[in-house]
Amino acid sequence: MHISEGVLSAPVLLTGAALTAAGVAVGLKKMDYEKIPQVAVLTSAFFVVSLIRVPVGPSAVHLVLNGLLGLVLGWAAFPAILVGVALQGLLFQFGGLTTLGVNTFTMAMPAILCYYLFGRGIAHKHSGVATALAFACGFFAILLSSLLVALCLIFTGESFLQAAKVLVLAHLPVMVLEGVVVAFCLAFLMKVKPELLGATHAAG
Amino acid sequence: MLLDRKPRRSWGATLTVLALGIIVALPMVSQVWAHKVNVFAWVEGDTVFVEGYFPGGKKSQDSLVEVFNPAGTKLLEGRTNEKGEFSFKIPERTDLKIVLTASMGHKNDFIVPARDFVEVGSSPSSPPQSFAVSAKDSSAHPTDLSQLEGMIDRALDRKLAPVIKLIRDTRKEGPTITEIVGGIGYIFGLFGLVMYLKSRNKKRRQESGDRSLEG
Repeated sequence: MHISEGVLSAPVLLTGAALTAAGVAVGLKKMDYEKIPQVAVLTSAFFVVSLIRVPVGPSAVHLVLNGLLGLVLGWAAFPAILVGVALQGLLFQFGGLTTLGVNTFTMAMPAILCYYLFGRGIAHKHSGVATALAFACGFFAILLSSLLVALCLIFTGESFLQAAKVLVLAHLPVMVLEGVVVAFCLAFLMKVKPELLGATHAAG
Repeated sequence: MLLDRKPRRSWGATLTVLALGIIVALPMVSQVWAHKVNVFAWVEGDTVFVEGYFPGGKKSQDSLVEVFNPAGTKLLEGRTNEKGEFSFKIPERTDLKIVLTASMGHKNDFIVPARDFVEVGSSPSSPPQSFAVSAKDSSAHPTDLSQLEGMIDRALDRKLAPVIKLIRDTRKEGPTITEIVGGIGYIFGLFGLVMYLKSRNKKRRQESGDRSLEG
């Protein structure tokens, strides 16, 4: 999910950086004082989870957890993912400095969409429905990220359909796995800290 | 008291999950795979071998390999095989920049300096001056010399093969525990700083609120 340095052209990089800057500004504004420790914990999770490779498929893919970040943090997922991606770039050499904006956006935008699409649904009384929605959230976040990356790669000469096919196929196992992870995390959070999920959406 | 206890317990649970997650993730570090493509190239005789792989050793198959000279002219291109390897004859005795483009926006490059193959390449056509002179003096055949050089090259390639393999394997290692734990430390430190700044703003706002009430 991390695009390397030197692949994208300047207009794509600048657009990514501008969109990310806007998203981070909104995220920082909406981030309450009490919510900061929670953002830190989930940023750490995002940072570390990228090291867990999913050994299925033709290429190197890893867990992302952007669906979970979006669901729990709302707009604060933007600064969280920015910090995570920056440190992954510095310490693990994933992506790069110039692609920081694009890479943050391709992972954070689906997180925000998930927040609006599934944020209310996961508090559903029927636990089966809530679990299904949580799974869909994890799945959809990765699918959308893959499509966004494919969209960025169009401008490099790769055709959208071709790039999208490769990316979506490679990430199919990740989508399923993330769906399961998000479903488990939410079931757990619902049990021990239900106010966390409800409160997030009310505040946003 | 009761009100106080509940949130503390749930924070404890959250932290437990995080700690468990880190404990689960750490043993995987030795076999970590990441999201970055690496290129490594070495010279054997008159051939340059290129290898593309992801950290942890997964081969970068069917990836585009392009070779450029320092002026930026593309000399040749090809694709890696199922072992992630590609080889080509030295096209030009200059520094060669090898660019590997894998799918999904992964790209990296590796520079083979000219000094890596200058001597190997020049030996059959023009032996070094001093050798030519001494060859004349001792009335030995230049062909013998180039044969000798070829033998030395082959022997060196054979002797150096394990070293090259060691270098290749070393480069495949992923992030270390230091980097991972360090990264988590940075995150907590950063958000701690944000909290501190926000708390100062909060205090200032409260103080100014108090003052306006007094006044």
